[in-house]
Amino acid sequence: MAAKVQINNLAISYGSNSILSDLSWTIEPNENYVLAGKSGSGKTTLAKAIAGLITGNGEVNVEFNAESKPLPEVIYVSNWYQFTNLEGDRNFYYQQRYNRHQGNDTLTVKAELLHFANKEKLDLKDIQQKIVAMGFGHTMDSQLIELSSGEHKKLQLLKSLWLKPQLLIIDEPYTGLDKQSRIELNIWLDELVNEGVQLIIISNDSQLPTAINRFAHVVDGKLEKVDSFDEIHQDENRKQKELPSFLQKLPETNFNSIADLKDIIIRYGDKVVLNKVSWKVDVGEKWLLQGPNGSGKSTLLSLINGDHPQSYGLDIELFGKKRGSGESIWDIKQKIGMISPEMHWYFDQNATVWHTLASGFYDSIGWFIDVKFQEKKQIEELMDFFDLTEHKDQLLHTLPLGKQRLAMLARSIIKNPPLLVLDEPCQGLDAQQARYFNDVVDELCQHGKTLIYVGHYESQLPSCIEKRIVLEKGEVVALENKVENVL
Amino acid sequence: MANYFNTLPLREQLDQLGVAEFMDSSEFNEGVEALKGKKIVIVGCGAQGLNQGLNLRDSGLDVSYALRKEAIEQKRDSWKNATDNNFKVGTYEELIPSADLVINLTPDKQHTSVINAVMPLMKQGASLSYSHGFNIVEEGMQIRPDITVIMVAPKCPGSEVRAEYLRGFGVPTLIAVHPENDPQGKGWAEAKAYCAGTGGDRAGVLKSSFVAEVKSDLMGEQTILCGLLQTGSILSFDKMVEKGIDAGYASKLVQYGVEVITEALKHGGVSGMMDRLSNPAKIKAFELSEELKDIMRPLFQKHQDDIMSGEFSKTMMADWANGDANLLKWRAETGETAFEKTPAADVKISEQEYFDNYLLMVAFVRAGVELAFETMVEAGIKPESAYYESLHETPLIANTIARKKLFEMNRVISDTAEYGCYLFDQACKPLLKDFMKKIDTDVVGKNFNDGKDGSVDNIKLVQVNEILRNHEVEIVGKKLRKAMTAMKAIQTV
Repeated sequence: MAAKVQINNLAISYGSNSILSDLSWTIEPNENYVLAGKSGSGKTTLAKAIAGLITGNGEVNVEFNAESKPLPEVIYVSNWYQFTNLEGDRNFYYQQRYNRHQGNDTLTVKAELLHFANKEKLDLKDIQQKIVAMGFGHTMDSQLIELSSGEHKKLQLLKSLWLKPQLLIIDEPYTGLDKQSRIELNIWLDELVNEGVQLIIISNDSQLPTAINRFAHVVDGKLEKVDSFDEIHQDENRKQKELPSFLQKLPETNFNSIADLKDIIIRYGDKVVLNKVSWKVDVGEKWLLQGPNGSGKSTLLSLINGDHPQSYGLDIELFGKKRGSGESIWDIKQKIGMISPEMHWYFDQNATVWHTLASGFYDSIGWFIDVKFQEKKQIEELMDFFDLTEHKDQLLHTLPLGKQRLAMLARSIIKNPPLLVLDEPCQGLDAQQARYFNDVVDELCQHGKTLIYVGHYESQLPSCIEKRIVLEKGEVVALENKVENVL
Repeated sequence: MANYFNTLPLREQLDQLGVAEFMDSSEFNEGVEALKGKKIVIVGCGAQGLNQGLNLRDSGLDVSYALRKEAIEQKRDSWKNATDNNFKVGTYEELIPSADLVINLTPDKQHTSVINAVMPLMKQGASLSYSHGFNIVEEGMQIRPDITVIMVAPKCPGSEVRAEYLRGFGVPTLIAVHPENDPQGKGWAEAKAYCAGTGGDRAGVLKSSFVAEVKSDLMGEQTILCGLLQTGSILSFDKMVEKGIDAGYASKLVQYGVEVITEALKHGGVSGMMDRLSNPAKIKAFELSEELKDIMRPLFQKHQDDIMSGEFSKTMMADWANGDANLLKWRAETGETAFEKTPAADVKISEQEYFDNYLLMVAFVRAGVELAFETMVEAGIKPESAYYESLHETPLIANTIARKKLFEMNRVISDTAEYGCYLFDQACKPLLKDFMKKIDTDVVGKNFNDGKDGSVDNIKLVQVNEILRNHEVEIVGKKLRKAMTAMKAIQTV
């Protein structure tokens, strides 16, 4: 038996924007909730209020069980991870993983876990087995800056679950996790419930721990309980809008092959990250790139996107030109619409939604040059297409995560590039938003685009995908022409 | 070798000191064209060497590294930096003869020996670049007349040069061509192309001269940037401990305070920084800083005079010749101060608290920035150059103090800056003895606003604001900051 939560008439607003109003909710000790619903409905705000991280008007009362073994605490696990370097700095840029000669001052995973254990008076031995089960064992000696986004998510979850609080609230736990890790996470959560931990999971994912026995969503600032996951309000199907005309034009291509990589080896010291990877992407092909967290997917993409300093001297041809033959990385990026979790994580905190889209013309992280008339028109059309117009002057990072993703996606296609590199673009989107987004990708791809798509959820992929490459531990383990089985 | 500046007639001295022109971005429309396909060889692969090279290569240029034979054989850090990033690396003998542009990014102290080794190997009509003019101006190095000599000096640490480039921007940069060495008239075209290749053209470029760069750079680093931050930090810490403030709290306030305070300076100049204080606190900080300016002005002037006459470089080079005896001694002393040895306590200090409880540092920064700027301008340096070497760089140095206190600051800055910093610090502390006697915890350690009702005299406040906002460093600063619209906000707390 764990905690009991009693919320009476809770009201929270940001400025004039009311998020929760007159919300009441009783959570009995044996109830494990999934809290779902539309993006922007106030799920995260509600969770933070229960954890005491924000306060509003009304009453939030958590009554702990004095006899229960787990810590009498509420832990809220955010959908956003953060880490610092040894000097307490958080000013990273997304390519820093590959430029790490200057960033060799973050802790290793092991040191970070030991530091955490010391601070929280925990014993590393207790989660040794979980570290292995979550496929995290091989990263123990890696520096934090070297981790992929999925690995960072795992580290964050490991630390929170290790604490074993009486009430554990996890905001989007599955974001960025590979399939096996999602299964292992659910097993672990069920074990914790047996040990007296109570769960509130914020997610629109239907693969949940079996201990989940209650379902609720926030509608118009109030909590509504429902009987099953299927009754939860998802975002309604968006009205299909016509793709802006500038995106219906065929991108200019005076080359046959987009990328041709031969026998690529990338190593840091003794650690081999990519081992003899060969891959050819021709114009118009639609690829799915898969592999477990940390298998080298983002590193492979960084070679195509011009972000990896080791690209030079390797056998790489991009857009028909040998890499290192006088092209600049800006020439390369001009032809690519890119989105990745890292780019989003480290994006300029001062950028408004409008600036975010505009920066896509210059491939800068934040906007800085006066935008031309025609470009302004394109920004407007695209904001309208993605229903972002009402948010255009808001700071990107203050929007719900789902909306932020849409803005990043809009940024990636604003210049109608021949190649789209979408590295887990649907992270943080709910099922409905992901479907909508993938429909857009399908439509874009009808107009001559080449696609490289990374996604862990088999159910959430664009249907245009026709080829698949799978990495494991830095090696290509599958290179397939038709991938009906994954769709 | 004779001090180059001192060999010039006065009119030529004034002429070169007064070069400072903020360049229009249209001057960089050609991008890296002037260096396209040319062989660029960088000598030295430390923080500036490596990061500038990475940027130049990512801009489509052909970059390789020439290292000393021992550095290659012993696989030193410079060799690792270059080879880990798949750069071509070779000895001077292997790479310099085919180089069209040799970029010297070694520490000041090594310049003479590096140039003496490199110059005979350079081909006819090639170019040589520096990122600091000390060797040419102070040491009087003579470069073969067929060689073009340019300077490209990003005003940021090497890691920032890289980070900003990859974000799609750049860092403010000074460029120059040495008037004695521009035989083909290609100097400016190459300097501009090099600057564009590092991303500098996207953050504001100042056309300078070797002389103006050296005389202003030395002045800035000795006084406001390193010297005064060191003096102010140590005096503030000692005062708090003397008055019974918890040493751990004092250590944290001083270590991080200067970064938080100068972050406001970075975005809004001196008045922006002062505006973070309440009205009564602002007036107090104003009065303290006026007093500080009066006390320290002669010291600032002495530093500028010694820099202009060559006295400073002469003394420092004597110390080089003496195996850095003084530098090493002073460095060790700094490592032994109570501030350095007291770890910051694990207490939460909010961003605003750093202003409210550390008003004294706000006063130090205003006094130091304005004094350094005024003294440079009086000496014939143009306001634009003076701005970069005073206000602009202060937050960058403050970041290094936040990382690991003064020891880290002195490790990151050049030995030349470090040497000047100690000279200033030693002279400044006794000068401020009487001033510090009057200082109590209301301006350092505790919230100045506690127990006050916040009211001020209208006229007094108007006068103070007027003086702050109309200072020349504010006027020129506003113009230059506009070109740096993409300036990154640092997460300070």
